[in-house]
Amino acid sequence: MANTVLEIKNLSKSFGKRKVIDDISLEVKEGEIYGFLGPNGSGKTTTIKMILRMIDNDAGEIKVNGYDTKKQFEKAMEYIGAIVENPDMYRYMTGRDNLKLHARIRNVDEKRIDEMLELVELKDRADDKVGKYSLGMKQRLGLALTLLHKPKVLILDEPTNGLDPAGIKKLRDILKEIAHKEGVAVFVSSHILSEMELMCDKVAVLDNGKIVKTEEIHQKEEEPTETIELRVQDTPKAIEILKEKFEIEAKKQNNVLEITLATEQVPSVVKELANADAGIKAVIPKEHSLEDIFFNATKGGNENA
Amino acid sequence: MRKIMKLFIDENIKTWKKLSTKILIIVILLALVGTICLVQFIKYMNERNETNTLPYEDWRDDIQSNIEGIETTLASEDIDEQTRTNLTNELERYQLALEVDTNPYSSFFYWKVKVLNKILELRNGEPESEFISKLTQVLKENDFSGYIQIEKEMAKKSLDNGEITENEYEDQIVILDLREEYRIGEIEDEDTWREVLILEIEEKQRSLRTGIDLTTGKILTAEKKQETEDDIKMSIYQIENNKPNMNFANNNYRMLFEALAPGFVVVMIAIMAIVMAGGQISTEISSGSIKFWALTPNKRWKILTAKILSVLFYIVVITFIMAVLTIVSANLFFEGNGTEYLYVENGEVQVIGNALYMIETYFAKIIPVILFALLAIMLSVITRNTAVAVSFSVATYIGNGILMAILNSFIKKDWIRFIPFNNLNIYSKIFPNAENIMDIFGTTGTFATNTSLLFSLAVLGVCTILMLVTMYDSFNHRDII
Repeated sequence: MANTVLEIKNLSKSFGKRKVIDDISLEVKEGEIYGFLGPNGSGKTTTIKMILRMIDNDAGEIKVNGYDTKKQFEKAMEYIGAIVENPDMYRYMTGRDNLKLHARIRNVDEKRIDEMLELVELKDRADDKVGKYSLGMKQRLGLALTLLHKPKVLILDEPTNGLDPAGIKKLRDILKEIAHKEGVAVFVSSHILSEMELMCDKVAVLDNGKIVKTEEIHQKEEEPTETIELRVQDTPKAIEILKEKFEIEAKKQNNVLEITLATEQVPSVVKELANADAGIKAVIPKEHSLEDIFFNATKGGNENA
Repeated sequence: MRKIMKLFIDENIKTWKKLSTKILIIVILLALVGTICLVQFIKYMNERNETNTLPYEDWRDDIQSNIEGIETTLASEDIDEQTRTNLTNELERYQLALEVDTNPYSSFFYWKVKVLNKILELRNGEPESEFISKLTQVLKENDFSGYIQIEKEMAKKSLDNGEITENEYEDQIVILDLREEYRIGEIEDEDTWREVLILEIEEKQRSLRTGIDLTTGKILTAEKKQETEDDIKMSIYQIENNKPNMNFANNNYRMLFEALAPGFVVVMIAIMAIVMAGGQISTEISSGSIKFWALTPNKRWKILTAKILSVLFYIVVITFIMAVLTIVSANLFFEGNGTEYLYVENGEVQVIGNALYMIETYFAKIIPVILFALLAIMLSVITRNTAVAVSFSVATYIGNGILMAILNSFIKKDWIRFIPFNNLNIYSKIFPNAENIMDIFGTTGTFATNTSLLFSLAVLGVCTILMLVTMYDSFNHRDII
């Protein structure tokens, strides 16, 4: 079984009277990409800053690779690589010089710098000043910086902020590679659901400083399923057909049907509905299944509060 | 320790790559270049003035007309006997002056002028004196040593007559020996610095004899007495070794340069240090790059220590480089002897050579700057605002001299000596014998109360510790946002 490398127990923090983080506990294992999902202001960055001890916590403890970050700060930090908010580096220095600064402190040799530059595909721009980089390049350089010393835990705060789709895809691939191949535990915060869904193995939903839901995301490669939104003229007929021929339970919401089925089934379902003259207006693939988890969870939280 | 070392190296690289660092270093270099230009300009102006004032060649005509004037007066009959004698004496002085070809109004320090005046004085006072003829004799024979001998004889006579004491006589002999050995006053147009030193020695001898400091009118303490004796020794050493003072050495622009340069350059270094130090924490926090360091496995105090050490390192290195450049440019652009520092140890005059003295001058003057740099770092940590940290520190650096001058003139209490700003003048406490032509800005607390070097260092030390405690406490405990 994979080891737990990041462990947060009963973490709490107040700013004045306002409780920002309320009794959070979570565990991240080796090779796991852990999504930390929540709307803006839910306390994601605060939690991350507490893990890195940029902010002192009021209660609870945080262990990185078994080391308490408060009592054995330097030991614990040996195993962490992190980007908080923005990848802030020295703009007047080149990418390589920035990496060199870190390499000296982390006892990393030049070869590793080149490796990392290659990994994030910045080799040919490494000797330009960071000030001239695009945001995506900065993010990638930040990633190279955090990976220099082969951390066991990689903490990324909103890493896809401001990236274009290609950049996001690139980042996702890199993260998956280092997590699944090198066994790095990746802890990613974000407020963008689709991203998390594509990237993470496990997601915790944070709202108002509390974890309201933890969800394992099974990325079933063998038998992919799809959630589809169906808009038909004859809704009752469609429901019937779906139930009888495909044993699919359809959810009805304002004349819109939502069904979950194996991807293979989609053509035959459409064909059958067309044959039955159900009047198909639209078949919309629905990707944001996390959205429901998220909204249900956060709404529930709000109502309770 | 190794971790701090690595952080320290990183800090230095980071600072060096910054454009503003390079600009500031250029500004410091410009201060030195500016000083060279300034002194060269003064030199140029002075030399131009000198060529305009040609030596006065027509004095003989003036003397001649004076003689004629006196003769006309003597020819008239309505003058009394006393005036007649005086005028006759005056007339004879002019005639003698013409005879030995000496302008009686040239230099007060020229021995022939002195002899002419002495003869007149004797004729008026004691016309029977045997020295009149003797003096006239040496004057005609152009015998400087003979003149000194006569001076000694006159001193002896005064002693025998009880006009002067034994001590006074001995003091006069010391001076006369100096004059004879080093031919002081023998040439008409010579540099006056030796005469000035002689006058100083004479005054200090008087102070020692009377037990009263003649410049301040206060009674000499044992300490002051020792100081005065040492001063005399140093003045004699200067005459013996031909080492003029800066203030009276004619045309020694090198010394002027060496006195001005450290002042200008240190002010610039101070501004650089404050700008660097003031941005140390606050700029990093506002740009976010503080996280760059906070995410490394280093406790915060190590990060701050590396930053402080880096600022100090820059100050020390630049100060050393500027000291060396000052020495080099003094040799390149100016002639003459460089400034040396004299002091007395165990009754012996000791000399600090020019190069070493310049380096020591720079480092003595940089000590207060380090304090202001620490102040800037502290403000940077506390306020997290570069503008506040830098402007407040620079204002304090520039303004403290004036502030203290005002405060000290109103508050006549003992405790003002504990004010740190009153103890910034470390340089003049390390080098009490140094000549100050001016202290550029009031920055070194010229009006500081009379405290010892150790006392000042203790006050500044306490101040440093307080600032360090404050900044470490703040940096260790506040959130990094």
